[in-house]
Amino acid sequence: MTTFILRRLLLLPFVALGVTMLVFALLQFLTPAMRASLYITDPKQFSALPDIIRKYHLDQPVYVQYWDWVRQVWHGDLGWSQTAREPVLDAIRGYFPATFELGLYSFAFILVIGIWLGTASAVHKDRLIDHISRFTSISGASLPTFVWALLLLMIFYGHFGWFPPGRLSLDADLFVRSGHFHPYTGLITIDALLNGRWWIFWDALRHLVLPVLTLTYFLTAVLVRITRSSMLETLRTDYVRTAQAKGLDQRVVVDKHARRNALIPVITLASYLLFVNLLAGVVITETVFNYPGIGRWGVGASQQLDIAAVTGFALLLASLVVVGNLLSDILYAFFDPRIRLQ
Amino acid sequence: MRQRVLAFITVFVLGSLSLGTGASGAGAPVKNPDTFVRLTIGDPESLDPASDYETAGQEIIWPNVYETLILYNGTAIDKFMPLLASEVPSLANHLISADGLTYSFPIRQGVKFHDGTTLTPEDVRYSILRFMLQDRDGGPSSLLLTPLTGKDSTRDNGKITMTYAEAAKSVTVQGNNVVFHLAHPFGAFLSILAAWSLVMPKAWAAAHGDWDGGATTWQKFNNPKVEERYAFDHMNGTGPFKLDSWDRQAKQVVLVRNDNYWRKPARLARVVIRTVGEFTTRRLQLQQGDADYITVARPDQSKVEGMAGVTIRDGYPTLIIDYLSFTFKIDPTGNPDIGSGQLDGNGIPPDFFTDIHVRRAFAYAFDYGTFLRDGWRGKATQPNGPIPQGMAGYDPSIPKYTFNKEKATAEFKEAWGGKVWSTGFKFTITYNTGNVARQIASQIIKESVESLNPKFKIDVRNLQFSSFLALTTAHKGTMFALGWAPDYPDPDDYARPFLASTGDIAKRGAYSNSEADKLVDEAGVSVDPAKRVAIYKRLSKLAYDDLPQIYLDQRTQFYVMQSWVHGFYYNPIFSDNLYYYVISKE
Repeated sequence: MTTFILRRLLLLPFVALGVTMLVFALLQFLTPAMRASLYITDPKQFSALPDIIRKYHLDQPVYVQYWDWVRQVWHGDLGWSQTAREPVLDAIRGYFPATFELGLYSFAFILVIGIWLGTASAVHKDRLIDHISRFTSISGASLPTFVWALLLLMIFYGHFGWFPPGRLSLDADLFVRSGHFHPYTGLITIDALLNGRWWIFWDALRHLVLPVLTLTYFLTAVLVRITRSSMLETLRTDYVRTAQAKGLDQRVVVDKHARRNALIPVITLASYLLFVNLLAGVVITETVFNYPGIGRWGVGASQQLDIAAVTGFALLLASLVVVGNLLSDILYAFFDPRIRLQ
Repeated sequence: MRQRVLAFITVFVLGSLSLGTGASGAGAPVKNPDTFVRLTIGDPESLDPASDYETAGQEIIWPNVYETLILYNGTAIDKFMPLLASEVPSLANHLISADGLTYSFPIRQGVKFHDGTTLTPEDVRYSILRFMLQDRDGGPSSLLLTPLTGKDSTRDNGKITMTYAEAAKSVTVQGNNVVFHLAHPFGAFLSILAAWSLVMPKAWAAAHGDWDGGATTWQKFNNPKVEERYAFDHMNGTGPFKLDSWDRQAKQVVLVRNDNYWRKPARLARVVIRTVGEFTTRRLQLQQGDADYITVARPDQSKVEGMAGVTIRDGYPTLIIDYLSFTFKIDPTGNPDIGSGQLDGNGIPPDFFTDIHVRRAFAYAFDYGTFLRDGWRGKATQPNGPIPQGMAGYDPSIPKYTFNKEKATAEFKEAWGGKVWSTGFKFTITYNTGNVARQIASQIIKESVESLNPKFKIDVRNLQFSSFLALTTAHKGTMFALGWAPDYPDPDDYARPFLASTGDIAKRGAYSNSEADKLVDEAGVSVDPAKRVAIYKRLSKLAYDDLPQIYLDQRTQFYVMQSWVHGFYYNPIFSDNLYYYVISKE
């Protein structure tokens, strides 16, 4: 197992290298002037364009630019993000906890609801719960995230005033910045508990409700469909029918015999699908709810051709995907003793 | 039982989370009465007054945190009040020399910076020199360099060419006065200083690794990357607000009141300026009273109309002029926008627009009414020249071109000896991606001109901003739509860019008119307001007759804010930014 993990982790630098080379190569389709647009906001600044191109080495051959960037990274510097107005590494450090917190809560909800609904749907095939489940899956997968997010925002904030956008309300935000609040983890809800500030915990939770609901609805659909089909398949297997024939309680058959085995493909497939979709989902969710996470930054950086940020963002995503895949393989082996990682 | 417990927990949690909420509306109590929350769409590029050259940063820098020697007086753009200077120089008080080359500013006594140190004339001199000599690519330094040294940059082709002595001799300290020595008389100098003479303490800057003011060290600080300066994200001004925090991740700046301000402290204790990109989110926060003032694009205005507790202040004329420019000498090299490059029905020759009949035909073919309605919801006016309404030198008696297909046809029939009408033409108009008004303008001209003669063909294409600017600067554009916003509200900052052959817009269009050049220079160096006004009126008439550009609109500004916001006044130089010193919530 250890060898397997090490080998997979050793792949990471090569994947990172490949991804960043690809990003640099793709950016070469844009002229130096286009790439310098990040620094030009007014026609009056245009006379400075040649100097800007020279200053940021945008006129250098791609391999020179890439080599400069690799050398910079080697010294622990991912460059300056003009859109974040800070070093890329600091931007990632700052934005990531917010997105991680959002993903953590969403993931918990998605797992619980998705597996429960998928199981119930398979067990009660073609009954009301199955129809509801299928409707939820289809609508969740087909309704654009931003529509769902805006709907939630308009109803629960615009109409009822319950769950505001952002990460904290004004008072809580000012308190967190006052120096009386220690940011242990960067996850506001956890930090609030560690600081013993319940009101900040509730405030942060209020701000998380709608983004978490958005992501949950969007992503539960994926899990429900996978769980349902896997459960349906498992329920038809001989050992499940034997268990039923032996007169075991249906709840025991489903919970202990069928679901455990049905979850094996769910874990592998869902962890990957959820992970990729979660990343896609946060981009829209963070933008609509003005949530200061990494997705919102990534989108802004791409739109404004912030090369350092885009490359850093791609590097982070590539690393996360590699680690995510690794975790899913490990989980697979853990849940299914027949699998041996080599 | 388990389901009941779960249901109870759910209801409890949701109930707790929704506590303390409620919408605002007419008669609703003021939310956060001493804190002003502004939601906008852009975040500052830098907080360094010598580096920042965009509106989001300017809102924080000037005049809320850093202050200038003088400031535009209330709503006026041509009258000034003293700020860090104790008097506004004029010919009458002899603080401007008779030849218009020397401006003296007595410095106000007892003014403290936010770090508690006292403002001195040397701080002013240092700040002005730092502003000029830092000279970041694309920064604002040329605004002071040009009048004071006669050069618009410290560098030529990337190499430093200016000497310290050249800059230093232009700003000196004489007793308690700071004296500016201009390279040539410049009528708009006070107007420039009212916005760009921002002062920071020399000792503070030097102590934090910035230039120490030395004659031999400045080159090391020339043309830095914005983030390399301590002043990039630290501020130490004399203004009514101090920087509390700039959270670049939350895209939020918090300013707190300067209780040691040299005037009466501001009424607001805190200003929160936050970037919220999504319009619906901004609107809902305004609706809930969580925001006091939000940025709204003109097409979204109807979505905030009639909102309880919200006031829309509308109809303030801006100083921005949008225009369609002709390129008088198009570069044909590898230029697909001019088709065949000849007047054969499949292209245009490089000098196509040098014929006044062609230019007039396009001016008459443009449907101004439709453009103002569709592009600006009717909230803009058609200018009669490059100098906007409200600016000294504006002449209401100058006529405007009107939409008239008959006149357009007649002009086209005369153009190029009748060949334009008989053979037709084909070319491409460009505008910058994402600018809806310019897209509409381009479409209008296309449809209108093509309807006159089936042999007329115009394509429209959009380009990313820098590519668009690169194209037009290289004279590869044919007709192109752009806008102009001034750096300082003086007719010189319109007449020069639009009409002088060295001006930004004229140069882009390869336009040159010796009479215009002469008049622009004459008005620029004059310190006699009456004489200047007379010359600018002549220039406006010249622009009508010679028509180097079609002037499309002078748009109006509107503000969407809570009704509980008081003290607001409009000065076009602030654009949609606010001077928070005068604002209160009641």
